[in-house]
Amino acid sequence: MSLLARVTEDQRDDISIAAIEGEIDTSNVREIGERLRGLLTNHSTALVVDLTDTTYIDSAGINLLFELAGELTDRQQGLRLVVPASTPTLRMLTIAGLVGAIPTHETRAAALVQAS
Amino acid sequence: MIADMPNPSPPDEQSPLADRQRLESLQRITDAALASLSVEQLLRELLLRISDILETDTAAILLLDESGRLLHARAAKGIEEEVEQGVKIPVGRGFAGRIAAERRPLIVEDVDHADILNPILREKGIRSLLGVPLIVEQRVLGVLHVGSLVPRIFTGEEAALLQLAGDRAAMAIEHATLYEQRRLAEALQRRLLPTELSFSGRLQLASRYLPASHESLGGDWYDAFALGSGQIAVAIGDVVGHGIPAAAVMAQLRTALRAYAVEGHPPGEVLELVNRLMTGIGPRAMTTLVYALIDCERATVELVVAGHPPPLLIPPAGEPSFLAAVGGIPLGVSELARYEPQTFAFEPGATLLLYTDGLVETRTEPIDAGLDRLRSLAVGNGSVEALCAKVVERLVPNERHDDVALLAARIEPVPERLSGRWPAERSVLAGVRQLLRRWLETRGASTDEIYDIVVACQEACANAVEHAYRPGLHSFELDAAYDGGRVRVTIRDHGSWRAPRGTHRGRGVMMMRGLMDSVDIEHGDEGTTVVLERTLGEQAA
Repeated sequence: MSLLARVTEDQRDDISIAAIEGEIDTSNVREIGERLRGLLTNHSTALVVDLTDTTYIDSAGINLLFELAGELTDRQQGLRLVVPASTPTLRMLTIAGLVGAIPTHETRAAALVQAS
Repeated sequence: MIADMPNPSPPDEQSPLADRQRLESLQRITDAALASLSVEQLLRELLLRISDILETDTAAILLLDESGRLLHARAAKGIEEEVEQGVKIPVGRGFAGRIAAERRPLIVEDVDHADILNPILREKGIRSLLGVPLIVEQRVLGVLHVGSLVPRIFTGEEAALLQLAGDRAAMAIEHATLYEQRRLAEALQRRLLPTELSFSGRLQLASRYLPASHESLGGDWYDAFALGSGQIAVAIGDVVGHGIPAAAVMAQLRTALRAYAVEGHPPGEVLELVNRLMTGIGPRAMTTLVYALIDCERATVELVVAGHPPPLLIPPAGEPSFLAAVGGIPLGVSELARYEPQTFAFEPGATLLLYTDGLVETRTEPIDAGLDRLRSLAVGNGSVEALCAKVVERLVPNERHDDVALLAARIEPVPERLSGRWPAERSVLAGVRQLLRRWLETRGASTDEIYDIVVACQEACANAVEHAYRPGLHSFELDAAYDGGRVRVTIRDHGSWRAPRGTHRGRGVMMMRGLMDSVDIEHGDEGTTVVLERTLGEQAA
């Protein structure tokens, strides 16, 4: 895995959770996308992507989230994001119009409650 | 039977005319024309000349391997199979083995009744043999032997003659082997040193490598490479030993170090892993090393030292000082060795100088004298290139008994105006981000402003990298200026613009517009220019 970012995986019942720590840009977005897609099984009901420790994200990462949301909808699975309030990440997602299009929660716990 | 030749006397004035002619023709064994040959060519040529002089049917040269226990057939005439089949004879056994062990000529009058180890000699129908050791400065290099397909009684004079030929041949072989080793080791070493020391970030690097004057090559090396995190790893080391074995260890060490570092292991762990490799499966050779991880953004250097002289830190103004890092023992000594990294401040404009002991150690004085000389010389704030040039000129003698390697690194001070050119590759973007962040910080931008401006610039750079190019090697330029509270960043590329494709492709431009006060994109025949502006201290428009 690229040194820019680290993905940590977790599983709660049928919900897959991935926390992305570090920076997401065009150089590592494909790799991160593969990791996230690899987490999903046929039993998964939802994927929670935790961006709490994501220190950089631009349109490369935002495009990935939009793509993932589309793919998951097609499979009748759900994508939920964890983004704490008043963070640069939330500002970027807002500017890109992602907040509102994809369910976004301030904490992982809130995301899990909504997902199950 | 085997007849020993306890004390062969060289041919004297009373030798028959034929022998004297033979003696004269010995000159031919090592004439100037042989000097330019490779070892293999030399051996072949020597055999031709020797078997010609002694009128023998076969001739062969076996050389001792590195273990000193096996003779390898290296060249043969009339019994070429010896070389083709890679014949190896243990020292002390058989005909050639005995010659090497006893260091004296041996005559075999009748091969059928002698202790011959190598079946090829019998299969080829050799009846009689004469062999001599190849000795240089008391060291046995190998064995030279000649053979006859008809029974022949080699005389004492012929044995002495062959020994003379062998002595000359041994000298030539030694010479050619050393030369070839040195050439190979030099080529290997050159290939192992990084050719390109420029990084997209703010680190200036300069280096020198000077091989020892006469002795065969030592194992000094250095390396510098960028980690994905934006940090730059630099290393310098000294493998104990010389020539090809040392260069080979160096190659493995360099690869292992890079691999562990790039995998993301912290510096202390990198050294412990390399050490474990070297004491375990790898080459068991002692190596001293300094590994440094330079973080331009935090202005720090993290050092790990393994039995190596201390790096010198030269501040932009003031006295240089050696970084007193707690050193571990050299690599390759003990599997249990532990290496503790230490972090030092490394302010922009300061220079970190890494070097090998050849720079500070001479045979006649203690290392402290050399360290003092280096410290008093390495002052001032000339370029890193100029520093290396000065250190080499003043401290490295023309005649040196050891290799010298040095590597100077400096974090560039943040400039008033940020300007640079990068290859249009995704991998450079993280470095550009770092550079921009630091520059914006010094301009007094807030954390949020820095984030916004950096993202907007990255969108433009990513456009240059992803959209604007036909396949091939291209670059983009970034220029950032600050005037009257307003930041203006210009990103220029020279490719042909491709309109954004796919559902998400327009998002980069949308982000730029959302993050900056003004975004101006111009597509021309010369390429694309994006100008981004934002006034600090206000909300983005």
